[in-house]
Amino acid sequence: MTVREYYRKHRTAVVTATSGLLYAGGWSLGYATGYDTASALVLVFAAVIGGYDVAKHAYYELRSWTIGIKTLVTLAAVGAVAIGEYWEAAAVVFLFSLGSYLEGRTMRKTRTALQELLELTPATALVRRDGNDVEVPAREVEEGETVIVKPGAKIPVDGEVVAGESAVNQAPVTGESVPVHKTAGDDVFAGTVNREGALDVVATGTGSDTTLQRIIRRVEAAQEAQSPTEQFIDRFARYYTPAIVLLAVGAFVVTRDVLMALTLLVIGCPGALVIGPPVSVVSAIGNAARNGVLMKGGEHLERAGRIDLVAFDKTGTLTKGETTVASVQGFECDAEKTLRLAGIAEKKSEHHLADAILDAAREADVPESVAAHGAPVVGSARVPDPDDFEVLAGKGVVARYDGREIAVGNRALLDERAVAVPEPVAASVREHEEAGETAVHVVRDGTVVGVIALRDELRETAPRVVRALRDAGVRTVMLTGDNERTARAVAERVGIDDYRAELLPEDKQAAIEAFREEGSVVAMVGDGINDAPSLATADVGIAMGAAGTDTAIETADMALMADDLERIPDAVGLSKATRRNVLQNVGIAVLTVTVLLAGVLTSNVHLAGGMLVHEGSVLLVILNGMRLRRW
Amino acid sequence: MTERTQFRVRDFDCPTCASTVERVLRRADGVEHVAVHYTTGRVEIEYDPAVADPADFESAIESQGYTPQVT
Repeated sequence: MTVREYYRKHRTAVVTATSGLLYAGGWSLGYATGYDTASALVLVFAAVIGGYDVAKHAYYELRSWTIGIKTLVTLAAVGAVAIGEYWEAAAVVFLFSLGSYLEGRTMRKTRTALQELLELTPATALVRRDGNDVEVPAREVEEGETVIVKPGAKIPVDGEVVAGESAVNQAPVTGESVPVHKTAGDDVFAGTVNREGALDVVATGTGSDTTLQRIIRRVEAAQEAQSPTEQFIDRFARYYTPAIVLLAVGAFVVTRDVLMALTLLVIGCPGALVIGPPVSVVSAIGNAARNGVLMKGGEHLERAGRIDLVAFDKTGTLTKGETTVASVQGFECDAEKTLRLAGIAEKKSEHHLADAILDAAREADVPESVAAHGAPVVGSARVPDPDDFEVLAGKGVVARYDGREIAVGNRALLDERAVAVPEPVAASVREHEEAGETAVHVVRDGTVVGVIALRDELRETAPRVVRALRDAGVRTVMLTGDNERTARAVAERVGIDDYRAELLPEDKQAAIEAFREEGSVVAMVGDGINDAPSLATADVGIAMGAAGTDTAIETADMALMADDLERIPDAVGLSKATRRNVLQNVGIAVLTVTVLLAGVLTSNVHLAGGMLVHEGSVLLVILNGMRLRRW
Repeated sequence: MTERTQFRVRDFDCPTCASTVERVLRRADGVEHVAVHYTTGRVEIEYDPAVADPADFESAIESQGYTPQVT
């Protein structure tokens, strides 16, 4: 790098440093010899060097009919020189340049954080075209083309794996630290890193239409959306700045002290106040994004900082949402027959419990001829269709097959159809429910023939998450459509504070409403589609599994890219920390301005000293805000 | 007819600098909407292509002493 290039790249730093050295030199000279001409010349030189760029910007500002901070600083420096205060002139210019340089530098770091995410996507992709593997720019890959991803390479497009097997590090998109196993049929995201195996991926999203790009656009929009505090400060600044100008004019009229008036103008600028809160919010949103949490904006972040109750949907949130048959018990016939009857009845149902029963029935249904010859059973569809079928919402199904009536459902269904429940059946159901399982009765021609217990595994992280929230002083509640006993059992196992059972979707929304009316600030965690009304009603809606779908973040205020519940206590903690950070920054700014104004008006603070404190406060709030990047 | 374009300015060093740029752009011919975001350095412009020349936007930003980057 030539000296010229180096200078161009680090111009501001070089200029500021030169100005600083000259300033120190001029000051020492004056200190050693008294303020003689030599010292004055060096100091003016320092002011000119450091002030050239500032004055240039001031000229731009004036040319477009605006008066900004740079105009005021130039005015102050020129004024100081005019009245012979060379030391003040050099100091104010040097300190302002130094402050701007550091401010620009730190803000650039915040601004480029997202750009770094973009650079995760490789520039080229290896595409199979006409039987040959050709390297093309990643954005030119067409949807539907097959991309070859070598071991260790970054994945250039969103797509579906069609061949190969590997572990993929998805941290850039979902924030998961553990690589995810991928095989044919699985989705992969652009910007994630393939580990040991080669993958053939059919592109579903390329160029700017990838999940990572969408996330970045979302995050940027969130960082730009003003929080209520920022809006308030903006409105405040609109009155504050003219008020300072009036104050400066007033001070000049009363005291005839030019320097004091200029000092008021320069240090009265609400720098730290205007910069502090946005830096806090931007840093926090950036931090959350890197950890797999999308926040929709500063407003939601500020509200999330006050959360004192988190409501969880049960199915798919606290549990994995993969219901399986845990056990089958026959009463009037054997277990196999019970499962088969239930399978026939549920065959046409779209309920998630039906899928589990049907899967189990198909697995158990081994055709005798095949079983005898030991041939593998491949997804036999031997469960016959019912002749007739009806869904009774919230209760179960009733079907006809081979001249017989089969009903599968809960106690409400049996009561409605006046089916007697023998004590052994009731005891068995109770037992399953107390274990946190969902039990359904299988009824043939008005007689209970068996009981099927279904289980939805808890997420291993759920108890830890609930504990972490409780430690942070947040109440937890589980909302579920399950019956009371099952709900209680699950709630106990998770260690959740409270639960509401037998809720229909609109009841969940009403429950959230009720918590809010009690005065709680409520967060609701659920999936973005089924729980959309509750997510919208809560103060902060948190959607699960947002990577890949855009709907989740539409309805929610916060979205977890992976289904990782453990991000929730982190996100709540980060929000609280952000809220504190914003308050600290506002406090620092208000305190500084108050002290400075009082100091200037009582002639205790002069131009250079005032500038030092002013710039110091701006840097302090920026650095304080940036702490949230590493929270 | 409205078209949109965006630039990135990495060297804003104060919020008022960003709002000065916003004001200057808003006064350009054919510009219908401008948003300059200090925190992300993003400049969004909606304009009427029959009247405005996008090249003018870049020079308007440069006239304030900042470097626009096309994204």
